[in-house]
Amino acid sequence: MKLTLKIWRQENAKSKGKMVTYKMSDLSEDMSFLEMLDVLNQSLAIKGERVIEFDHDCREGICGQCSLVINGQAHGPESHYTTCQTHLRSFKDGDTLFVEPFRANSFPVIRDLKVDRSSMDKIIQAGGYISSFTGMAPEANAIPIHHDIAESAFDSAACIGCGACVATCKNSSAALFVSAKISHLAKLPQGKVEREERVQWMVNAHDNEGFGSCSNTGACAMVCPQEVQLIDITRMNYEYNRAVCHSKE
Amino acid sequence: MALNAKIPVGPLKDKWQNYLAKTHIVNPANRKKLDIIVVGAGLSGGGAAASLAELGYNVKVFFFQDSARRSHSVAAQGGVNAAKNYKNDGDNVYRMFYDTIKGGDFRSREANVYRMAEVSVDLIDHMVAQGVPFAREYSGYLSNRSFGGVLVSRTFYARGQTGQQLLMATYQAMMKQVKAETLKQYKRHEILDIVIVDGKARGIIARDLDTGKIERHAAHAVVFGTGGFGKIFYLSTLAMNSNGSANWRAHKKGAYFANPSWTQIHPTALPQAGEHQSKLTLMSESLRNDGRIWVPKKKDETRAPGDIPEEDRDYYLERRYPAFGNLVPRDVASRAAKERMDAGHGVGSLKNAVYLDFKTAIEKLGVDTIKERYGNLFTMYEKITAINAYKEPMKISPAAHFSMGGLWVDYELQTTIPGLFAVGEANFADHGANRLGANSLLQASVDGNFILPNTISNYLSNEIRTGKISTDTPEFEEAEKSVKEQVEKLLAIKGTMPVDKIHRRLGKIMFKEVAMSRNEKGLKWAIEEIRKLRTEFWENIAVSGDQNGPNSELEKAGRLADYLEIAELMAVDALNRRESCGAHFREDFQTEDGEAKRDDKNFMYSSAWEWDNGENWKLHKEPLEFTEVKPTVRSYK
Amino acid sequence: MAVKKGLFKTSVGRKNLMAFTGLFIIFFLVIHLIGNLILVIPNSFFPIEFWNNVANGHDMYNAYSHFLVHFWPVTIVAYILYVAIITHIIDALLITLQNKKSQGEKYIVTDNSTSSWYSRNMGILGTVIGVFLVIHMAQFWLQYKVLKVEHDLYELVLATLKTWWFVLVYEIGIIALGFHLVHGIESAHRSLGIYPKKIMNTIKYIALCFSLVMAILYAIIPIILYFK
Repeated sequence: MKLTLKIWRQENAKSKGKMVTYKMSDLSEDMSFLEMLDVLNQSLAIKGERVIEFDHDCREGICGQCSLVINGQAHGPESHYTTCQTHLRSFKDGDTLFVEPFRANSFPVIRDLKVDRSSMDKIIQAGGYISSFTGMAPEANAIPIHHDIAESAFDSAACIGCGACVATCKNSSAALFVSAKISHLAKLPQGKVEREERVQWMVNAHDNEGFGSCSNTGACAMVCPQEVQLIDITRMNYEYNRAVCHSKE
Repeated sequence: MALNAKIPVGPLKDKWQNYLAKTHIVNPANRKKLDIIVVGAGLSGGGAAASLAELGYNVKVFFFQDSARRSHSVAAQGGVNAAKNYKNDGDNVYRMFYDTIKGGDFRSREANVYRMAEVSVDLIDHMVAQGVPFAREYSGYLSNRSFGGVLVSRTFYARGQTGQQLLMATYQAMMKQVKAETLKQYKRHEILDIVIVDGKARGIIARDLDTGKIERHAAHAVVFGTGGFGKIFYLSTLAMNSNGSANWRAHKKGAYFANPSWTQIHPTALPQAGEHQSKLTLMSESLRNDGRIWVPKKKDETRAPGDIPEEDRDYYLERRYPAFGNLVPRDVASRAAKERMDAGHGVGSLKNAVYLDFKTAIEKLGVDTIKERYGNLFTMYEKITAINAYKEPMKISPAAHFSMGGLWVDYELQTTIPGLFAVGEANFADHGANRLGANSLLQASVDGNFILPNTISNYLSNEIRTGKISTDTPEFEEAEKSVKEQVEKLLAIKGTMPVDKIHRRLGKIMFKEVAMSRNEKGLKWAIEEIRKLRTEFWENIAVSGDQNGPNSELEKAGRLADYLEIAELMAVDALNRRESCGAHFREDFQTEDGEAKRDDKNFMYSSAWEWDNGENWKLHKEPLEFTEVKPTVRSYK
Repeated sequence: MAVKKGLFKTSVGRKNLMAFTGLFIIFFLVIHLIGNLILVIPNSFFPIEFWNNVANGHDMYNAYSHFLVHFWPVTIVAYILYVAIITHIIDALLITLQNKKSQGEKYIVTDNSTSSWYSRNMGILGTVIGVFLVIHMAQFWLQYKVLKVEHDLYELVLATLKTWWFVLVYEIGIIALGFHLVHGIESAHRSLGIYPKKIMNTIKYIALCFSLVMAILYAIIPIILYFK
């Protein structure tokens, strides 16, 4: 099959980017989208041109490193897929595809399609953990956790931190990402101890990193590769309001 | 240099406690004066970084990903083993130790394996406290499942994403220490060399992958949690950027490389579908619990799998291994698949796969039960292949997966370079010639969280008077210069062969002759081919762009340059070991019915290779002594 | 890093403020609708005198509006309402400004299939409502309550709604309000963190029905009066 690619090229965060057109032919439907970029890069390397920089690593949908917005859709046309799981069979022969980086003020472009997502690390640093040191732990079965609660905590913990939610959000809000971690830890008894500090610190960090606020449009949950649910954002708001109103004394 | 494994005295079960009782520790007030560099931020490196930072050391952690949460530990699916005996099924530390030793075909170090089993108990407690949502029973207590090669249920799991969940816990522990300012992250940094001063590891040379800047970093000790090098096969279950470079650069500076040729080939990965494929996705081993593996009896079968009647199907695992059937260990299953494919019975357009069929299980248990057990794997399979595996059999194929070999370490996890430690998959000691399922997450985590923090203090207790290490020394100067020279050399070639193409060709050579089954002729051929390819690489590699910014081709080329050397050592190691054991199967050393023939008399040792300026390697043997177990023949018939 | 605490200070807090003020305005809208409905009650509904000697819709409506203006607790509530509306608007502007700042460079191609247009355009809907509100207030509130030039509100309303284009303005305002409510009610509950899934789904359903009923009732009144 043949495809026309219009790919965003940008030297660095400060320079201006533009779309560059590449014509691809002899493609197979079984190829993954990123493998097509591999092929394109090989041809650029032979010609001595600078290759297209894009993020990727595990190529099985779990590391969260791959990004890309293809024809306006974060991680491509299939819902709940990552870009690395997207195959060319999702497109039609002769299609023109616009490939852009994840865009948000908090995700500055490093080069081409590669963006800096350190802002998400900083949110976790603010409080997305349980302050237990190695060696402190009690016997694992000492605190029973109901099957359904453990499963529900897992649903939130499954977040791969790819940032597709931010890229999709019209406000560039990281609410789904933040709330997934808050919900994961707030659901578990061992995480409940610090829940009040955690939610306030993380929401503050979210704002300080320059993300927007949530309008509850639900677009983030529709693209999330791990199907993290919108209800987590609601739960985060509950945790926040509870933390503000609750006194430990 | 003679190898000294520094195994503590006393009976096997007391060794670790004896060690802990006598080891030197560092005064808490002195810890903040000591710098430690950790390379890699996965379960082993990240666990070590977080735990050392909690103790109060100054930790700097380097990784090439843009966040520690993306390290490849994230991709492990199945679970993590621990001798908790929650099932009352007779499990204990000794049994776990024995299963691991046996699974490794009696080629691992007894004391290390025992310690891993012993500490496994603490690891589950630790991970639960960190918030890992392990699977639970309705009572609220932890659930277990069974894995290949054992008779008890000791695997803890979080759906099919156990690695991800353990890594998140480790990542969060690291982030906690970043906030506490005892840990500093250097993301998107690749290690290009290690610096030795007065015989001790004192720092690294790293390249900032975003700016291209070559940086010097000094420390009192260096820890490698750099993972495996299975990506050498190009098509593997590893991440695209996983590499063996840090280990290799350390090897060239004096760290011995142990058992490099022992690579686990996982039997249930997705087959290669076309020439452009970059990755073989793993499907969890647990599928073999209910799936039946078969190939058509007729060569070059053209019928669709559903149209092939029972009598024309060859359930070759059930035929060859009636006792274990589809549940034979990974090395045996992979080899049997290769044998069938080589005989012309492979399926799929490239004839490179076998069927994994759930028809019988669906008829017996119903589609809902299968969905509940493996739903996420079937979905994943469909995402990649667009095939509904409830209706037609999966196509699976063996793929390079785990490096049992790695940097040689002693009981303290210290390499032959004083001050350089290796944890997790980067070292070699625990899995012998074949790793059991769900032991990988375990080893990485316990090495990083529980073992290294206790053994590194023994080394660091002598360093409290050293003072800050300067990067302004001739050693750093020289290391930086050689790194810069290599970068410039790669950019100057301007050839016509893209990096991926050479890597793919290297992978083909390796998968053909240095993977599931090896023989003398093939290995010698492979060495010749690798050398030719290396020459071609240095003459004709096409690396475009420059070094002053992100340049993924340059990164890949540097890694491939190292792979082209590691590959040769793997073949040399495989050639040297004139026996079959675990994943290392020599066609010239097999029993009459085609099974592995071990030679305990001549090869009861770990091979530790010393770099000899590229001319050749010098072999050092670490004899393996078994005091508690008696090596037996592994049979699954 | 100084941690901002408080119910209204962070991105989550500011949404609380939107939710609280929004829900208060909705409460007012219900009261307002009840008043409006008096306008369309047929005279045959008043067979007996039941309140303040009111015998028909005209008297009833004027009595009701007189009561609203002269009963002091209602005045207090009215001031709270003004504050709520102004806060709702200012808060919305602040949030929108921050959100604009958070967005990076614009996408060249956008795909909006993952969310509803009205949930994305609450600001535009709000602006339409705001413009409508100004016209609406100038027409009635200013004349009747502030300038006090008109004392028969019933007649004023009837006279105004005999102009076709004003009916049209009214309908546009109400349609905008309807969509604003559908997303607003659900979003307000989400912002306040009323999270159990079952409740959330119920709220979503109620929000939809409520908005539909409100919009239809509000919308038919000017049409009925136009043809009366």
